[in-house]
Amino acid sequence: MRRGLDLLYLAGGVAAAAAIALICLVVTAQVGLNILARIGGPGYSYTIPSYADFAGFLLAAASFLALAPTLRSGVHIRVNLLTSRLPDRATWALELLVLGVGAALSGYACFYAINLTWESWDFGDMSTGMVAIPLWIPQLAMDAGLALLTIALLDTLLESLRAGHAIIADAGEA
Amino acid sequence: MSDPVIFSILLGVLLVMLAAGLWVALSLMALALVALVFFANAPQGLVLATTLWGNSHSWTLAALPLFILMGEILLRSRLSNDMFSGLAPWLGRVPGRLLHVNVLGCAIFAAVSGSSAATAATIGRMSVPELEARGYPQSLILGTLAGSATLGLLIPPSIILIVYGVATEQSIARLFVAGILPGLMLVAMFAGYVGLRALMSPTIIPDEGVHYTVRQKLAASRRLIPVMLLIIGVMGSIYTGVASPTDAAAVGVVLAVGLAFASGGFGWRDLLAALMSATRTSCMIAFILMGAAFLAISMGFTGIPRNLAAWIGTMELSPYALLAVLTVFFIVLGCFLDGISVVVLTTSIILPMVQAVGIDTLWFGIYLVLVVEMSQITPPVGFNLFVIQGLTGIDILRVARAALPFFGLLLLGVLLITMFPAIVTVLPNAMG
Amino acid sequence: ETWNMPVPYGDTTFHTVNIREFAADVATATDGALEIEVHSAGSLFPHPEIKGAVRSRQVPIGEFLLSRLSNEDAAYGIDSQPFLATSYEDAKKLWDAQKPVITELMAEEDLMPLFSVPWPAQGLYTNGEIATVDDLSGLRFRAYNAALEQFAQLAKAAPVQVEAPDIAQAFSTGQVEAMMTSPSTGANSKAWDYVNTYTAVDAWLPKNIVVVNKKMFDRLPEDVQAAVLDAAAAAETRGWDMSAAEADEKKAEMEANGMAIVAPSDDLMNGLKAIGATMMDDWKTSASEAGQKILTDYEAK
Ligand code: NA
Ligand code: NA
Repeated sequence: MRRGLDLLYLAGGVAAAAAIALICLVVTAQVGLNILARIGGPGYSYTIPSYADFAGFLLAAASFLALAPTLRSGVHIRVNLLTSRLPDRATWALELLVLGVGAALSGYACFYAINLTWESWDFGDMSTGMVAIPLWIPQLAMDAGLALLTIALLDTLLESLRAGHAIIADAGEA
Repeated sequence: MSDPVIFSILLGVLLVMLAAGLWVALSLMALALVALVFFANAPQGLVLATTLWGNSHSWTLAALPLFILMGEILLRSRLSNDMFSGLAPWLGRVPGRLLHVNVLGCAIFAAVSGSSAATAATIGRMSVPELEARGYPQSLILGTLAGSATLGLLIPPSIILIVYGVATEQSIARLFVAGILPGLMLVAMFAGYVGLRALMSPTIIPDEGVHYTVRQKLAASRRLIPVMLLIIGVMGSIYTGVASPTDAAAVGVVLAVGLAFASGGFGWRDLLAALMSATRTSCMIAFILMGAAFLAISMGFTGIPRNLAAWIGTMELSPYALLAVLTVFFIVLGCFLDGISVVVLTTSIILPMVQAVGIDTLWFGIYLVLVVEMSQITPPVGFNLFVIQGLTGIDILRVARAALPFFGLLLLGVLLITMFPAIVTVLPNAMG
Repeated sequence: ETWNMPVPYGDTTFHTVNIREFAADVATATDGALEIEVHSAGSLFPHPEIKGAVRSRQVPIGEFLLSRLSNEDAAYGIDSQPFLATSYEDAKKLWDAQKPVITELMAEEDLMPLFSVPWPAQGLYTNGEIATVDDLSGLRFRAYNAALEQFAQLAKAAPVQVEAPDIAQAFSTGQVEAMMTSPSTGANSKAWDYVNTYTAVDAWLPKNIVVVNKKMFDRLPEDVQAAVLDAAAAAETRGWDMSAAEADEKKAEMEANGMAIVAPSDDLMNGLKAIGATMMDDWKTSASEAGQKILTDYEAK
């Protein structure tokens, strides 16, 4: 179970990293084509159709799919000035509360994101660029990322409950 | 309930959530939900989903992870260390020494990137560990970084000037040109402040070792060549027109990878680590941006910022009094909305007022940027603070305290461009 | 009742000015029973999200550029076919033919068109005069949608994707050398900073459309519904007049700032119309039966 969940978060992180690498590749390829056109003249003009749209959708995929691994590695920002000064039991209780509220919020967002995706699919919403992309496809990454975040928050809640103390160490020295 | 009461309730709710340790992005979302449920009539769940989607796939935002990735690559290669070693002999006698790298580095990077978050993340990733290792005082490292990174918004290109230009139908090219002199003025003010602090308490600035001969300085400068090539490559790609400012971020990554491999000590493992780390940092920033966008939209539905702005309009103030009141208004709103949202939510009401008293709209755009820059470093919601906490783990309130002098300098900048509007208008007017 | 209304363009755009007048008309006619709060410049929802927000009743009413939907059905994009309808008169005829078809399409999404107003006709921005289509050959040409990319290719120009905020920089760095857009956009972005010639080829008149959610509209009392429809009809008439006035005004502004405002030569127009005809053939193959009907109705008028 533990290993399965950790693998799931890792998969989200790797997919997100791949999306960022892909943005870099697509944009670099277009810049390469621009240089080619400058050197070769108008006969050598090529564009990657809708590359701005693709880059935007990849960015959305990267942002959402990385939510859970980013949470687990303690990179999401929060203010710990107060909580770090409280007695351990109070810190623990607050941590459980915050994880519960977070999971509820994230689950709520996930529910409505799926709703939005379903609508996009139902009504056949399309991107507006040269390449028509059905919007539900990139929106699936949003749903998956939010679902993963909800799972991660619940998972962390249970872990903290069992451990008797907060288990997410915020990145850096705190 | 009156707007000031609602405003205070919401501020209280936000502070409680933040103090309890709820993540910033989720706190902003929760606050927006509270505002929508109690003070507006909108289906909050659907609005949340639309906002999350609508603010996650923009093309201009795509540069952010790429610039962050560039910073991660430089950090993990020899390049970042080389840059500081190359600069150290030259800055050895300048009061403040290598702290100026933060100021100048941010200024140079600002000429490539339109966002202050990307500027803080990229420069800070390299400079914070390096300066800490060399023994510079933490408060000055954090303060100079947080303050100087706001230049990303003023020195062209600038996301906020694009937003303002589109909303008010002005020439974005002219707005960009108008930002140049005030940008340089701020660079000078920031550098001057660092120098002054160093002169006042010379012991806090570590000695960069023996004094160098010119020959030694030049020899050390060889280590600056790779970083210079990177800067020239990125800027060159923009100014020769083969890359848009967003494209340039990808050029930066490719050049950084090439130079990192060429300079040795950098392998595929490092590249992968840089990519994974950049993915997490940009996810953190994107998540807060989405939360901030949702809060901004909920404020649009409740009408609070609009009503407050309209209330200022009823005071019928003189130009200077209006600017003074607006500055306070923007600083207060900027504490817990991000700067771009403040501009978007209030220009409709404020611009007519500003025009009515005869203030130049081009000048006002630059004024707005300065005020928005301040909002980047005021707690609890300040993007540079979040980015720097993300880099260092140091709490945003401590970063904010370190940045306070720079808040003061920005305020002084506002005063200067108000007294001498030509600082803003002379260059664009020269365009004819 | 108060309705929130997201619109994509800024306060000074004549579309937004017209919509604010529409909102004021509705408030007056209904004695304040229905107030419409206009949120300009995408401050409530970004442009791409406005249609969906109205559809799912997050807001009851909104505005967007009609041809943005052309990937969903070709019928939405017929007003952006180059050289099909190039005058206000023809554009009006085209809208008359298009309206029933898109009304039916939008009904499937719970949307009801209230009124639609065109932008001034699209002209050509270049450095130096363009006398024939051959002069376009080899120029880096800004293309931001499929139709413009095809247009550029047929004109033997090199299509370059440039997003709107980057236009000025793209011209000054030589990333693009020619673009097609309305005099409004040209004058507002101070096109004279980077180009010297505007050729009034009047390629097409793209339209913005104001839609209302049908369910929320039906929920209004009947007299309020009637007031909204009346105000919408008035807004459409007023908007078309504003658009024509805007076209003259903005061309004059560009001329006053030193740009040459050029009437296209017959050679150029013949060449461009030939390209338009080729593109129209392609459009026909992608259009539905209802879409085809727009064309036959338009040509019959
Ligand atoms: Na900048
Ligand atoms: Na702030």
